[in-house]
Amino acid sequence: MKKTITGLGAAILLAWGAQGAAAEGSLAVYNWGDYINPEVLDKFAEEFGVKVTLDTYGSNEEMLAKIQAGATGYDIVFPSVHMHDIMAKLDLIEKTDVNQMPGWENIDKAHLLSKTDPNGEYCLPYAWGSVGIMYNKNRVPEIKSWKDYFAFAAENPGSVILLDDMREVLGVGLILNGKSVNSRDAAEIEQAGETILKEKPNVGAFSYDVIPLIQSGDMAAAHYFVGAMMYVLEDPENLGYVIPEEGATMYQEDICVLKSAPNKENAKKFLEFYMRPEIAALNAAQQKNGTTNAKAKELLPAELRDNPYINPPAEVMKKLQIFEDLGEDLRTYDRVWTKVKTN
Amino acid sequence: MSIAAISAPVEHASQAARRRRNLALMLAPITLLLGIFFVVPLGIMALYSVLTPGLYGGVEWSFYPYSYGRVLGAPLGAGEVFDPVYLEILLRSLKMAFLTVLLTLLISYPAAFWVSGLSPARRNLAMFLITLPFFANLLIRIYAWMLILRPSGVINTVLKELGLIDKPMMMIFSEGAVVIGLVYVLLPFMFLPVYASVERLDRSLVQASADLGATPLQTFRRVILPLTLPGIIGGSIIVFIPALGNFVVASLLGGAKVLMFGNIITQQFLQARNWPFGAALAMMVMATVLVMLFIYVFKVMRSDQRTAGGR
Repeated sequence: MKKTITGLGAAILLAWGAQGAAAEGSLAVYNWGDYINPEVLDKFAEEFGVKVTLDTYGSNEEMLAKIQAGATGYDIVFPSVHMHDIMAKLDLIEKTDVNQMPGWENIDKAHLLSKTDPNGEYCLPYAWGSVGIMYNKNRVPEIKSWKDYFAFAAENPGSVILLDDMREVLGVGLILNGKSVNSRDAAEIEQAGETILKEKPNVGAFSYDVIPLIQSGDMAAAHYFVGAMMYVLEDPENLGYVIPEEGATMYQEDICVLKSAPNKENAKKFLEFYMRPEIAALNAAQQKNGTTNAKAKELLPAELRDNPYINPPAEVMKKLQIFEDLGEDLRTYDRVWTKVKTN
Repeated sequence: MSIAAISAPVEHASQAARRRRNLALMLAPITLLLGIFFVVPLGIMALYSVLTPGLYGGVEWSFYPYSYGRVLGAPLGAGEVFDPVYLEILLRSLKMAFLTVLLTLLISYPAAFWVSGLSPARRNLAMFLITLPFFANLLIRIYAWMLILRPSGVINTVLKELGLIDKPMMMIFSEGAVVIGLVYVLLPFMFLPVYASVERLDRSLVQASADLGATPLQTFRRVILPLTLPGIIGGSIIVFIPALGNFVVASLLGGAKVLMFGNIITQQFLQARNWPFGAALAMMVMATVLVMLFIYVFKVMRSDQRTAGGR
C-alpha cells in the first residue's frame, strides 16, 4: 500500500509558524485574511473568558499544505466546501455533532453542500457569496454579463482584470460555453482555455489586488468576489458589482474543527456561539457576504438582506455553481491554465 | 607552497596537522548549520522530485521520474505528456534575468565610479541611500511601483500636465514593468560588489596607461575592465539568480499575464497540488544555473591562464 507522507521536510519549513499555545482557555483560529468580523472574536473571548488568536492564509491549498505538513496548534479552520471534502478524506477533521447543538435549527439546510458531510455532523456552514464582476461606473456605465465585460475589453484593451486563479478563470470559460465548472472532460476544459485565450489579449491582468485599481478608475472592471460589496455600498455612485447573466461561481466556507486541535471544547463552543443569529448577523453585516443562518438573514439591514447580489433571488441562485473537488482531473486544469498564461 | 611543505621539518608537519584539526573544529558549527539549512532541504527537494504526486498534495513513496519527462520529453508515462511550454517559460525567464543583469550593470558601473569620487562624507551618504530600500518590505516597494506606473499614477499625471501625452500610457501590467521592477529590486546587489572593486582600483594604473599612450578606450578595455571584473562577475551572479526565481514582481507588476518560472513553481504548490512537479521544476532551474556557472568559471579560469602564459 502506498503511503501518503504528510511531509518530512515540508514540516520543518511550514510547521514553524504554528506553534500556538495549547494553554487552557484559548482558541486558535486559522482563517482567510479579513474573513471574519474581529468583533465576533472579541465577543467570544469576552463571554467565555478565552484568549483568541487569529492566523490567516491566502488560499485553501496554503492552509491544507500547512496542516498536512504537520502544523499543530490550530483549533478551527475555514475551508471552502471542496476543501472541506478533501480534508475529510484525509481524516483531518473532528466530528463535532454540530447538528445536535442548540442553534442548528437556525441554519439554512440548503447550505449543507459538502458531499462528505451532508448532515452537518462535522462542520458548520459559515458564509457564502458569488464571484462576479466589480466595475467603475465612470469607466463603464453598466455591466450585466460576461458578454458586456469582454465587449468593453475589446474596445478598451488592457482595462479589465480577471482573477489570478486557475479554476475561477477556466470556470468563466466553461460557463461561457454552457458547461459545468466541475467538468472533468479534457475537451471541454481545453475549449474553455481557448475561450479565455481568445479574450486574453484584451485582459489587462490576472490579479487579486484589484480594489484600489477599480476605485481609482485605473481599471474599469474586475472579476471579483461579492466582498467587493464592502466598497460598492460605501460608494454606490461610482462603483458597481454584478452577478453576470450567463451565471457565475459561488463559494462557501465551512467552519471545521481540526483533529489535531488542542482546544476542542472551546472550538465546539465557538461553533455553537456562531449559530446565534445575532452573531452571524454581526459578521455578515461587516463582511457584506451571504450568511448561512436563516434567522441571522432576517436581522440584517434591508440594504444587505434585499441586495440581489448578496442574497440573490431563487432564479439567480440556480445559475450559481460551486466548485467540487476534482481529484486527479485537476491536472488537466493545470495544463490548460499554464497554456493560457503562457500564450 | 608544495616546496615549502616538502622541505619543512617533521615537527612542523605535525603542527600543521594540529592547526588543520583546530580549523576543522572551528568550521564545524557553520558547516553543520549550512548542512542543515541548505543541504537537507535541497535533498528533500531532490527526493520529492522523483516521487509520485499525492492526490491532495504531498507525495507517495514510489519512484516517479515522469515529472521530468513532462518538461524534457523523456521519461514519459503514467499519463504525463511532454509539453514544450515549460522550456519556453524557462527560456523567457532566462532572457528576463539576463536583461536585468545587463540593465543593473549599466546603471551600477558608472554610478560606482561617481560615488567613489565623492568626498568621504558624501560617499557614506550615497551608500546609505543605496541600502535604504532594504529597510522597507519588498511587497510594499513593489506596490509603490504600481502606484507610480498605473494610468492615474505619477508618471502619467506629470506627462499629461506637461502636455506630452493626451491619453495615459498603459505602463503597468507589461513586460517592461516587470523589467523595471526587477532592476529596481536587484540594483543594490549589483552596485555593492561593483563599487567594492571600483573603489579598490588603483588610479595610478589608469594614469600610467594613459601616460604610456593608450587611448581612453584601450585603457578601459585593458586596465579598468579587467581590474573591476571580479565585482562585475560577483554582482552579475547575485542579480541573475534571484531575477530568475522571482515571481512576485511578475505577478504584481506584470499582472501575471506572462508566467515566469517562479510562477509555475508556486502554481504547482498552491493551485495544482503537485509537489513533485514543483520540486522537479525547481531542480531544473537550479541545474540550469549551476551548468551556466560552471561554464562561466571554466571560461574565466582559462582566460586567466592565457593571460598568465602571455606575461
